[in-house]
Amino acid sequence: MSLLEIRNLSVEFETAHGLFRAVDGVDLEIDQGEMVAIVGESGSGKSVSMLALMGLLPWTAKITADRMNFDGQDLLTISQKERRKIIGKDISMIFQEPMTSLNPCFTVGYQIMEVIREHLGGTKKELKKRAIELLGLVGIPSPETRLRAFPHQMSGGMNQRVMIAMMIACNPRVLIADEPTTALDVTIQAQILELLGELQKKQGMAMVLITHDMGVVAETAEVVNVQYAGQQVERQDVKGLFNAPRHPYTHALLNALPERATSKRLPSIPGVVPGLLDRPTGCLFNPRCKFATDKCRSDAPDLHSKVLCHYPLEDGMPTNNHPGVSVAEGNS
Amino acid sequence: MSQVQNTADNKTVSAEISPLRQQLKEFWFYFSENKGAVVGLFFFLFIVVIAVLADVIAPHSPIAQNREVGMIPPFWQEGGKIEYFFGTDILGRDLLSRLMHGARISLFAGCIVIVISLTFGVLLGLSAGYFRGIYEVIVMRVMDVILSIPSLLMALVLVAILGPGLRNAMIAISVTYLPHYVRLARASAVTESARDYVTSSKVAGAGTMRLMLITILPNCMAPLIVQASLSFSTAILDTAALGFLGMGAQAPAAEWGTMLADAREFILSAWWVVTLPGVAILLTVLAINLMGDGLRDALDPKMKRS
Amino acid sequence: MFRFILTKLGVLIPTFLGVTLIAFSFIRMLPGDPIELLAGERGVTPERHAELMANLGFDRPIWEQYFSFLWGILHGDLGVSFMSRQPVLEEFLTRFPATVELAGCAIIFAALIGLPAGIIAAVKRGSAFDHTLMGISLTGYSMPIFWWGLLLIILFSATLGWTPVSGRLSALFWIEQDTGFMLIDAFFSDEEGAFKSAVSHLILPTIVLGTIPLAIIARQTRSAMLEVLGEDYVRTARAKGLSSFRVIGIHALRNALITVVTVIGLQVGVLLAGAILTETIFSWPGIGKWMIDSIFRRDYFAVQGGIVLIASIVMMVNLFVDFMYGLINPRILHRR
Repeated sequence: MSLLEIRNLSVEFETAHGLFRAVDGVDLEIDQGEMVAIVGESGSGKSVSMLALMGLLPWTAKITADRMNFDGQDLLTISQKERRKIIGKDISMIFQEPMTSLNPCFTVGYQIMEVIREHLGGTKKELKKRAIELLGLVGIPSPETRLRAFPHQMSGGMNQRVMIAMMIACNPRVLIADEPTTALDVTIQAQILELLGELQKKQGMAMVLITHDMGVVAETAEVVNVQYAGQQVERQDVKGLFNAPRHPYTHALLNALPERATSKRLPSIPGVVPGLLDRPTGCLFNPRCKFATDKCRSDAPDLHSKVLCHYPLEDGMPTNNHPGVSVAEGNS
Repeated sequence: MSQVQNTADNKTVSAEISPLRQQLKEFWFYFSENKGAVVGLFFFLFIVVIAVLADVIAPHSPIAQNREVGMIPPFWQEGGKIEYFFGTDILGRDLLSRLMHGARISLFAGCIVIVISLTFGVLLGLSAGYFRGIYEVIVMRVMDVILSIPSLLMALVLVAILGPGLRNAMIAISVTYLPHYVRLARASAVTESARDYVTSSKVAGAGTMRLMLITILPNCMAPLIVQASLSFSTAILDTAALGFLGMGAQAPAAEWGTMLADAREFILSAWWVVTLPGVAILLTVLAINLMGDGLRDALDPKMKRS
Repeated sequence: MFRFILTKLGVLIPTFLGVTLIAFSFIRMLPGDPIELLAGERGVTPERHAELMANLGFDRPIWEQYFSFLWGILHGDLGVSFMSRQPVLEEFLTRFPATVELAGCAIIFAALIGLPAGIIAAVKRGSAFDHTLMGISLTGYSMPIFWWGLLLIILFSATLGWTPVSGRLSALFWIEQDTGFMLIDAFFSDEEGAFKSAVSHLILPTIVLGTIPLAIIARQTRSAMLEVLGEDYVRTARAKGLSSFRVIGIHALRNALITVVTVIGLQVGVLLAGAILTETIFSWPGIGKWMIDSIFRRDYFAVQGGIVLIASIVMMVNLFVDFMYGLINPRILHRR
């Protein structure tokens, strides 16, 4: 049994225009020391599924799942109080916006020590020592003086390091990083990713990395979940995914990478992720898929060997008797 | 894909047909979501109708005295008469009729105060924000001075200079409200005049007056309207307070605050002359404030839910 | 921080000069002869008239009059009341504690109820409690407090007989006014029951004066909390596995307080305006009633001095609130 296992997770929101399904049948499985990436455009429900796991969604969200287990504990039936003992200690999460995710009214030191005191306890002196140690671990220079700094006195990159220090303070077994580098400068991005990778190896954590950046995925992850419009469309290990993507969406995402571009113009995926009001029938990706058929437009696909597609790709070509293989060939 | 484009096209087309109607419709959509605001609106309209028709529908004269029927309780109490629905005061004046005419005075006072303070406030604020420099500094400091004196005290002092009475009370209250409008209008004018559309109409040769009143003003209307609805209710309260202190409308005018002042001595003997004018003030002000809340929800885009 | 206060002071000084100018011109704008108005002497002989004019300084050029007025203020000389023949400053200071006591109790009353109510309403947004509280607070905000006072007197004093109608202390007691604060003086006096009497005299005026601030504080606390509860750092706090009490009571409230404290501070003007009405209704011998009485008695030097003093208090409290805002907002206190 895996350390963390999620089966068929769905999240629905009540809105003024009816029920909106932000996450639709997502699976996740991760073991000690593993690194799983969840990839997808903005609006594909990556963060929402992880927030649901953490229990951080507003009460308007309706969460259902077949299974949501952590280390033998059922997170679906657990009480709020029990969950709070796990959250922040064994499972913790780093957020996208370091500048707004830290409380502007408290010092960095207070915010780090608070989480240790909550879960592990200790005297003031011990807490302080541990906080200094943590700040050093995440590469913050002169940690003793930084302890007394307020978040607004530091840069975004520094704040994200503080955030990481805070979230690994209790030696979590699963660390979820929700686009940890999106809000940062490009040069800082690489540093933070490197730091996260190092920490993951050193502490043997399981790590879930949410990102929309395929480049990041290639460098860090072992297993990749591709998510589109709330659905998990493909799951593969990273090598297989980059060599032989099976879902047309993954295929298109990889083609949009500058490193893999073959033509002069960088190919892009036309259109945007469907929202509440423009949800298509059939396969959710069909309006943007270059292989879409009438079947795709009418019937929703089932999961075929971890790919959510009527015609999974092989060598960039649809299989399963796709009617227009020759046409598609001419197109690309 | 084509479907998506289609709906988008539809939207722009309908917006082009009548932007004003579209805006009003959207406004009403957000306004009517707030049930309290709708209740407030209908109650307010009810009071407006009473105020307008007071001469016609009031059963008695509001000021004619009739000593024979003094201090009659409301009709449901022992000794009450149905022709004096809410009873009479010490001078035998019908309370219901006086309340109806009081609505007229209060709403009138509220309107006048808004018109005066809004007009002068917007003029001062817009010009301060538009011309900047020493003129702006002087205007804003004068407003600071007015704000640093508690509004009721300021109004009392002004009435002491001008002499008691409803007209002077309205002027005095208007002055105490000026700073809010000046600050709002100035802030909007400062931000708006930096925008591209103002520069472009400047380049196009628009005159100063035109720029201020036709180009900038409509773009800062929303906060001004919300402020106006707020000060409409406080103006009614302050007019009544001045009347209560004997510095506003003078007897025998049927003003709610003045009626309360007259009724103070009957606090123990005739509850109706003390209670009812206050209820009238409270309900009217509450209705306007409910409406104001709805207005703010509908006009403030920050509060709008997506 | 230092510069922050310095800029505030830079605005304050011209405002203070403006207030003195208004107070100064007030007397000179009153219609009629200043001697008849101020000295209350009618039909005086021309010699007596000239003498009084010289006494009061009205025969000097107007700017000279203003500067000597300003000079007086800076030396604590605000003129002499024509009614009591006492210095205006002294008149003011003997009544000031009564108003401070009343206004202080009112703001404590308003904050003690308004803060928790606003927090709970924000946390339980959309619940029955939220709707009820917002309804009540809008009613409170719409309340004509002079009528509200009369209503409470009818109910609690006249009908139930629970509280006295007016004044600060029952006439049965006579206690030494050491501090001017009746609660403190009565507490330390030897008179049995004096403290209870002082408290019972305070209850109704406190409620009446506190009603509108209470409504404002409850509404502002709710909206400040609603805004803060949607912030990322509150989500972070919950992601740390902290209890709801810590998340709401420490992480969210600490941030919401920055606005709420400012709102509470800005109620001083509202309180002083309300004090005029409240003190009139309950015959509370504070500065509000003193100002009203002075206006009616045409004691214009008292009014003039009162304006300067009251405006100075408002400005000082506003400065203090600005200072507090800087203190509790780390983004201002600890600049980069």
